[in-house]
Amino acid sequence: MAEIKPDKTLDVRGEICPYPDVKTKKTLKKMEKGQILEVLTDYPLSVERIPRTAEKEKHKVLSVEKIKGPEHRILIEVKGGEG
Amino acid sequence: MNPFIFTGLAVGFAFGFALQRGRFCMNSAFRDIILMKDYTLLKAVGVAILVEMIGFELLSLTGVINLNPKPFMWGANMFGGFIFGIGMVLAGGCASGITYRFGEGMVGAMSAVGGFIFAGLMTSMGILKPVAGFFQNTRITQPGGVNLTLANVLHVPHYVLTFSIAGVALILWAIFTKKVQAAGKDRDVSLGTKIFKKGWGWTATGIVIGLIGILAFYASSSAGRNYPLGITGGYLSIMKSLLLGKNFLTWESMEIISTIIGAFIAALIAGEFKLRAPAPRVLIQTFFGGCLMGFGAVCQMGCNIGHILSGVPQLALSSILGGTFIILGCWLAAYLLFIRVKP
Repeated sequence: MAEIKPDKTLDVRGEICPYPDVKTKKTLKKMEKGQILEVLTDYPLSVERIPRTAEKEKHKVLSVEKIKGPEHRILIEVKGGEG
Repeated sequence: MNPFIFTGLAVGFAFGFALQRGRFCMNSAFRDIILMKDYTLLKAVGVAILVEMIGFELLSLTGVINLNPKPFMWGANMFGGFIFGIGMVLAGGCASGITYRFGEGMVGAMSAVGGFIFAGLMTSMGILKPVAGFFQNTRITQPGGVNLTLANVLHVPHYVLTFSIAGVALILWAIFTKKVQAAGKDRDVSLGTKIFKKGWGWTATGIVIGLIGILAFYASSSAGRNYPLGITGGYLSIMKSLLLGKNFLTWESMEIISTIIGAFIAALIAGEFKLRAPAPRVLIQTFFGGCLMGFGAVCQMGCNIGHILSGVPQLALSSILGGTFIILGCWLAAYLLFIRVKP
């Protein structure tokens, strides 16, 4: 996969439950269709839950990638998928 | 000291391991009903309770254990439960959630555990004891001092009610699972990867934690503590022993130490261990949340594990009422903190 350039980065490393999820949700709401959000989180529950809830809200999860230890990088395209 | 208390080490280790792999946290389970509309952990909690219900009843019918529902004290169950529910939202985890995240290296959870023990001790033997006593002074029992269960209140044999509820739940589960499988999406990964590297699905988490709960009841009662999994009593007994220089250790003390170690090992193997901390303000918030949990848990004689995971499967009325108020407190705090306010 070619390197995707995110329009925005949300770094919620270190944050407790459920701030990573809540902040992701609110940031996605403020972004425009087709834009890409990069979320950095090291909270294992959120690594699983953020993609799950984002897809339920019709966003497109492009990738969930492990950086180091519990740190993950999640790429989400706002309301993406239909061009 | 009863040598059987050391079986708590093995059960606790398994419990901590499963908590971490399943991300088993009732704060998330209940809060996400209204916040994320995500029911994954709620389903894990439901399955665990269902498995335990059947297991406890079978052990009880065969005379291996005696069911031991906690005393029904409506004032304490309502007030303590509600305060506990508010506390766990601020702490960012229920009693089992903050315990396994302690093992994952999350400093916010460690601070919450600190608050939990601090206020728990104040409530069990310190300045807050009369406050808890006031709410506990609402105890109702069956004639002869038998603690209330849904079964003895409804005058139905315990096993009949248990197996009826379990039967209905299993049928609903079967119907539901069929629907999900139609959507099917199982990936091909090795069993080892599934167990040690990836988070467990809700079915596996629920079944494993339920089975550990059944084992806990058997092991713990052999050690003279006739109850399944618990958290509050474990932490408090360790701290009391340290502070007062006397041995208050029980099976539950062994269980809780080992739960943290089990979660630590699970996180280490999965590459999910790292010491990490939120902002100082959040650390204070989790400590305060932990304090509310400590008060609530001691006030109603059980946290979400003692009541919801271990008491509800025994159909204890105290746990059903207390558990309901934990959920209500959780919802109120989640609403005020995350839904109403738009940062």
